[in-house]
Amino acid sequence: MEAAPSLVLACRDLRKVYRMGEVDVVALDGVDFALGRGELLVLVGVSGSGKSTLLNILGGLDVPSDGRVFFEGTELTGADDELLTRYRRKHVGFVFQFYNLVSSLTARENVALVTDIADDPLEPEEALSLVGLGDRLDHFPAQLSGGEQQRVAIARAVAKRPSVLLCDEPTGALDFKTGILVLDVIERVNRELRTATAVITHNAPIAEMADRVVTLSDGRVQSERRVEHRAPASSLRW
Amino acid sequence: MRLPALTRKLLRDVARLKGQIVTIAIVLAGGVACFIALRGTCDSLERARAAYYDEYRFADVFARVERAPEELARRIERLPGVGVVQTRISEEVTLPMEGLGRPAYARLLSLPASGEPETNALRVIAGRLPRGERDDEVAVLESFAAAHGLCPGDHVPVVLGGNLRRMRVVGVVLSPEFVYAIRPGALINDPQRYAVLWMDRSALASAFQLGGAFNDVTLRLQPGASEGEVLDGVDRMLAPYGSDGAVGRAHQISNQILTSELSQLEGIAGMVPLVFLGVAAFLMNMVLGRVITLQRAEIAALKAIGYTNFEVGRHYLGLVSIVMLPGALVGVWGGWMLGRVIVGLYTDLFMFPDLAFAMSPALVASALLISGSAAVAGALLAVRKAVRLPPAEAMRPPSPTRYARGVLDRIGLGALAGPSGKMVLREVARRPLRTALSSLGIAGAIALIILGHFGLDSLESYLEGTLRREQRQDLAVAFVHPVSPRVVGELARAPGVVAAEGVRAVPVRARHGHLMRDSVVMGLPPDGTLRKLVTRGGGHDVPLPDDGVLLTQTLGEILGVQVGDRIDLEVREGDRRLVRPVVVGFVDESVGLTIYATLDLVAELEDDLGAVSSVLLRVEPGRLAAVEDRLRRSPFVIDVSDLRDDIQRMRDLNASVMDIWTAISVSLSASIIFGVVYNNARISLESRSRELATLRVLGLTRREISVILTGGLALEVALAIPLGLWLGRAWGALFMRNVDQETFRWAVVIAARTYTGAAAVALLAAAASALWVRRSLDRLDLIGVLKTRE
Repeated sequence: MEAAPSLVLACRDLRKVYRMGEVDVVALDGVDFALGRGELLVLVGVSGSGKSTLLNILGGLDVPSDGRVFFEGTELTGADDELLTRYRRKHVGFVFQFYNLVSSLTARENVALVTDIADDPLEPEEALSLVGLGDRLDHFPAQLSGGEQQRVAIARAVAKRPSVLLCDEPTGALDFKTGILVLDVIERVNRELRTATAVITHNAPIAEMADRVVTLSDGRVQSERRVEHRAPASSLRW
Repeated sequence: MRLPALTRKLLRDVARLKGQIVTIAIVLAGGVACFIALRGTCDSLERARAAYYDEYRFADVFARVERAPEELARRIERLPGVGVVQTRISEEVTLPMEGLGRPAYARLLSLPASGEPETNALRVIAGRLPRGERDDEVAVLESFAAAHGLCPGDHVPVVLGGNLRRMRVVGVVLSPEFVYAIRPGALINDPQRYAVLWMDRSALASAFQLGGAFNDVTLRLQPGASEGEVLDGVDRMLAPYGSDGAVGRAHQISNQILTSELSQLEGIAGMVPLVFLGVAAFLMNMVLGRVITLQRAEIAALKAIGYTNFEVGRHYLGLVSIVMLPGALVGVWGGWMLGRVIVGLYTDLFMFPDLAFAMSPALVASALLISGSAAVAGALLAVRKAVRLPPAEAMRPPSPTRYARGVLDRIGLGALAGPSGKMVLREVARRPLRTALSSLGIAGAIALIILGHFGLDSLESYLEGTLRREQRQDLAVAFVHPVSPRVVGELARAPGVVAAEGVRAVPVRARHGHLMRDSVVMGLPPDGTLRKLVTRGGGHDVPLPDDGVLLTQTLGEILGVQVGDRIDLEVREGDRRLVRPVVVGFVDESVGLTIYATLDLVAELEDDLGAVSSVLLRVEPGRLAAVEDRLRRSPFVIDVSDLRDDIQRMRDLNASVMDIWTAISVSLSASIIFGVVYNNARISLESRSRELATLRVLGLTRREISVILTGGLALEVALAIPLGLWLGRAWGALFMRNVDQETFRWAVVIAARTYTGAAAVALLAAAASALWVRRSLDRLDLIGVLKTRE
């Protein structure tokens, strides 16, 4: 099967089984999924539903046990470590729950980690301005609040102008107010850079900012719905 | 130019880890310095020796005879394999130097009329060589000239053929034959009292009635010649002229001592740097391992961003090069300095025309290669962890460190220890390998201190425990030629003498089957009390058998004889009588390859009436000088030696060398111990600061949390001390095996104060580094630490 060209990411009948000692744990059990250009998709599900596993596979951090994955029509299934690294390097932006900034580098330098190796990146300053941190360039992570750290992480993820932005519980470690601020930045990046974005959350109200909501349960897609009117991130409440 | 972000990270990691990097670099530098200094000294000595022997035509074969006609030289020259033959006259003479309580002795050697000998050429340091037309000119070996401040133009008194002559020093020289100038039979060299003099042959021949004859011959072999065959041929040819057997370079005394010293040095050069480099590799692994564990999430994020495994691996190996570079540079510089100190010690001991510490590019390159490999080997295991870390890890929160009730808990130690003690025990039990390697590193350093000092202890034990028990005389009187046993009685009755016993030494060649060694038979009085046979290390006395001979254990092993076997003893002088005594036992001695028998048996060997070659005297205290003085005036006496004096000189000489060695080994070892303890303490502090801060918040005092932090370190040091003491002893034994067994077989003795000293250095270095880290504990930012996520 060739995926439709307008799709950035697609996967078909994805399975992932972890072996934990004597037992096999099925994390994904036949997932079909697609992410279109410019689309903002929210993936919801309870803890253990398989959403992180799916995101890891889509981002080239992990490989499926079975099934096929496509990026812009090219099959990633069976790619070796080198190819997956190249895929991540060129096309994928990651935002982690715990930011994962390098503590010994300033905000600007953390973004430069990406711009140093990307082909046509934004300037680190530009990326940081985009997330509203143009005045915090030379602060070290320890000198930034949680929300600011997460915004640096977003700037770092988008600085390479990725084709796809994958965010794993980006507000998980943040309070409500800061969380809204971070979601606002993600929304703006999606809108202004037209980056296909997938946000994982166990926080149901966040789904309202999406174009489409996919709910995972026990490793399967339980439901999928299109949102008629995307709510601005600033209007969300939980 | 803007530095890449990853490079900036590297530089900031370095700044944060500076204490650890400095200590590892110091240990690495210690390894490089030791390697360069020791290996470089070996190379420098070997090169200096090879160049000296070659340029100054050091002989390959040496032989002495009573008296042989000069024509014999041409026959020797025709032996297959012989290149050049140089005959000469060699006599031992006394030099009654002014201001020297006892006379000095000199080996007096002839120079050919041309001045320049065919073998063993002389290097003139000052002045010139003696000329044929003058019979009162001598050249003097540099060590003696230096000891007495002699310059060309000065005079030395020499007893030549019974007459006292004032000889004019015309030159100060060095000879490849006397790189280490020691009087045969002496314990140690004595530049004050042992000289080598060269004078014109005709003058010497007329003084000793050796016109047209020689009593010493040296040869150089043709390239590829068989030394063994030449030695046999020379022996056959010289036998009728009273030769005691030709020897090759291996048994030429100066060369033998030099070779033995070199092989010991090579042993150390192989052993010592290994300890440093092993510890440096371990520390590198430990510190980098910790850094990588701490940066686990960052590594995963880097990979998720798109950095390749290679880039991540290279980044962490960059840290290694930052340790390596200063470590190696300081090491090379330190090695050069240390090498010059060590070579300086050797220039006092060995006389070379050009001995300087040379550091070849190849030596530096191999030092860098070896130290680099050690550091990279240590780092590689840790870096592999970073390379293998799956990027998906970044998505997961780290799990808490796993602890379990360990063996120490189960055997009940935990119950005794209380909660703080349990934390210490479980931390140790959780990292058994790190604990073991830390202890091993510290133990290695302790062993190095012992290795640097055990030589002195073993020597002291030999001197006090063995030599003083074997040789109980106050004076030993040696005669020019063996004298009648009546002399022993006469000496015993002399004023001031308490006891006198005669000894007869006869050079022999001992054979058993096809195995052969040159040795000396010592004839001792059966009921003697002044010369005892004592087992190695000063154990029990071995009684002298009435019949048969006792062999030094090592000689027995060389010849492969058992008690009850008979050996062939061929006397290497006179009419070369052959006897076949039975071996009745062995004596485990530290020095030499001697055979012991009663005086009667030796008299039979020589077919004389029990002549003695020396007499041992016990003298009333306070009359030693008077007795010695009277004996010296006898024309039949060639030497009167005072054992106590020799022992003191040996101690003095060794003490000055050992002081330097001790200073070097203690400071290097302390740097290892400091490095190991400091790095362990820093890592413990970093990985447990959250826990320790929590305990402080709960109300524990600084002192109490210090115990938790340093308890594990104390345990490592406590384990290391006995291990290090044992290892030091084992290395000592290994080192002794490198020593020429036919010359010295000192028991490895380590004095209690060496053990306690080494342990004290370990404790002090460990305490110093723990205190250093404790300062950080005192500054623990309770709120800050608790806020940060591990």
